[in-house]
Amino acid sequence: MNPLQKICVNYTFNNVKIECKIIQILGQSMKVVTGVVGNDIHVVANRLIDISLQARGFEVFNLGVNTSLEEFIDAVVETDADILLISSLNGEAEGWCRDLQFLRSEYDLRDVVFVIGGNLAVGEAAQSDIVPKYKSYGFDLVFHQIDLNTGLDEIERFVKERA
Amino acid sequence: MSKLLIDVGSTYFKVCQTSGISQYFRDFKKDIYDDLITKCGNIFANYKKEDIFICSSANGGLSTLIIGLTNSFSLKFAKNIAFNSGINIIDTILYSKIEESRAPSELVDVVIIVGGIDGIGKVFDEKLFYYLKNVQYSNIVYVGTKQDVSFLSAQIPELKVLGNIITEKLHVNGGELKEYLTNLYQADIVGKEDIKHLYEITANQIYSTPYIVNRSLPLIDANFEVVNPFIVVDIGGATTDIHYSRDLVRDNIVSESGYDRLVFKKLGVFKSRETLIFAAKNNEFVYELLSYLNVTENILEEESEKALRILMQLSIFLVLYKVSRLNPLYVTLHLDLLNTIVLTGGITKVLSYEEVEMIMQFFYKKVMNLHATPNIVMDYDYAIWTLGMENNESKEPKCL
Ligand code: B12
Repeated sequence: MNPLQKICVNYTFNNVKIECKIIQILGQSMKVVTGVVGNDIHVVANRLIDISLQARGFEVFNLGVNTSLEEFIDAVVETDADILLISSLNGEAEGWCRDLQFLRSEYDLRDVVFVIGGNLAVGEAAQSDIVPKYKSYGFDLVFHQIDLNTGLDEIERFVKERA
Repeated sequence: MSKLLIDVGSTYFKVCQTSGISQYFRDFKKDIYDDLITKCGNIFANYKKEDIFICSSANGGLSTLIIGLTNSFSLKFAKNIAFNSGINIIDTILYSKIEESRAPSELVDVVIIVGGIDGIGKVFDEKLFYYLKNVQYSNIVYVGTKQDVSFLSAQIPELKVLGNIITEKLHVNGGELKEYLTNLYQADIVGKEDIKHLYEITANQIYSTPYIVNRSLPLIDANFEVVNPFIVVDIGGATTDIHYSRDLVRDNIVSESGYDRLVFKKLGVFKSRETLIFAAKNNEFVYELLSYLNVTENILEEESEKALRILMQLSIFLVLYKVSRLNPLYVTLHLDLLNTIVLTGGITKVLSYEEVEMIMQFFYKKVMNLHATPNIVMDYDYAIWTLGMENNESKEPKCL
């Protein structure tokens, strides 16, 4: 049995259900780099994401709040991570993520899944505008104001299909 | 019996006895030993070899070239460790750009290679060996992922392998590399023919001066009017050192030591006068600064008492500038949080408190946009150095 399974239980933190699943590829847990992009100090979601990802069996590298896009990419390179999960709460992600394609091309990161979620615009904005915009920046999955567990389920599905 | 403390600098010797400190300008026609014996031989006769302690900063400093996988982790971590070990960084190479990078033309004392957390492999490949063929170096050290060790060692037999400086949580673990570099630096200083001779005078280990100063930092607030966080700036003839509390650094680096130091090898008022003037002329604030000091740039070409004072003022400015936000290449200190600046070394013998204050006011107003300046403490009697040297015997010396 996977040792993680022993500690794998569902529980609730800050009214959000932490679901426990084990995600692995070829017996190794997948690596996720996460953090909050730009000058954004909203830390609660970041902690939740860290805990939720660990509970789902991912190996997490949490860069915390106030992280630049270059630091995210560099962390993916240093850890050879499978997924980059960026979150943004204050709505300013757009300005920080436009260079993603460029930075991505500096290294060979074709196999890495790029995900962004949180509040991806300042004020009201339609999903139909936001999602294609961030995809054009180079993100594979975009979750604007989507519940965390729904998003994480979707990420797992996407990764499994790709594998 | 009391002790005799000697500091061998690049421009003068300091000799400290219970009766006080005296200093002697170096005679560059003589080697250090002969010069010291001529000037202070009669003093040595009063002390046993065991009671004589020597440190040296003469021509200290090693050079390094760092090759790393990313800017935010490998290079950043290694740069910090190198700076804090008193090593002069000649260049840094981002591994993804190594094919387009030029090898340094001068001999490098130590090449540092770093990249990847343990567990990931194949970070480095033939590109590295191809590049290294054109680099002349004396030492080479690897501090990256374990998985690449055997591959790299097979190709680079002289490779020294130390623990990865990047932890599995992407934090820094600088202990081993810092110890290695500090020892290299130490070996370089005491290995110099000139310095080796000095063991005829002392039975104690000879240390580098920055090491001695750094050791006295935790004791400083008990002996001076110093409020944390503080920096100690030691402006000498060939180099300038900054010692600072870690509270002034906000980075993703977790360090166990409370104080670190930076050595600016080519910033001194005598031996590296030319590079100091060059750095000054290339600084965007310098003309405004010279006019604030009521002089023109011609002063930089003069050999006068006044010119020396101006150069010293410029070096305070340049060193603060180098660690300010305006110069991201070096370690950035949050000088807005600084409470005290302590000046030590030759500068305190030349500049008055008011002259230092003028520069601090200019720097804080122009560069920091702040009106308040930190407290200035002048260590006129080299008390910091004496403190570090005296602390010598109480504790078994260890690497910082
Ligand atoms: C607490 C809070 C603060 C605190 C933050 C304290 C801290 N260190 O964390 C303080 C007071 C400092 C603050 C400051 C600001 N805030 Co504020 N803040 C909030 C507040 C009230 C709660 C945030 C929170 O912790 N929620 C709890 C967590 C669990 O929920 P969450 O953050 O929404 O995250 C969930 C989802 O977004 C999602 N999620 C997040 N990331 C990802 C990623 C993926 C992949 C997925 C699938 C899901 C996902 O999962 C999480 C769990 O379900 C929200 C309003 C609100 N009710 O949401 C505003 C809010 C986020 N803040 C806002 C703003 C504008 C600011 C300021 C700019 C205000 C200002 N003018 O100064 C500053 C910004 C400071 C900065 N540099 O970042 C706006 C953002 C507006 C926008 N995007 O359009 C909000 C929405 C308020 C509003 N309605 O206007 N804020």
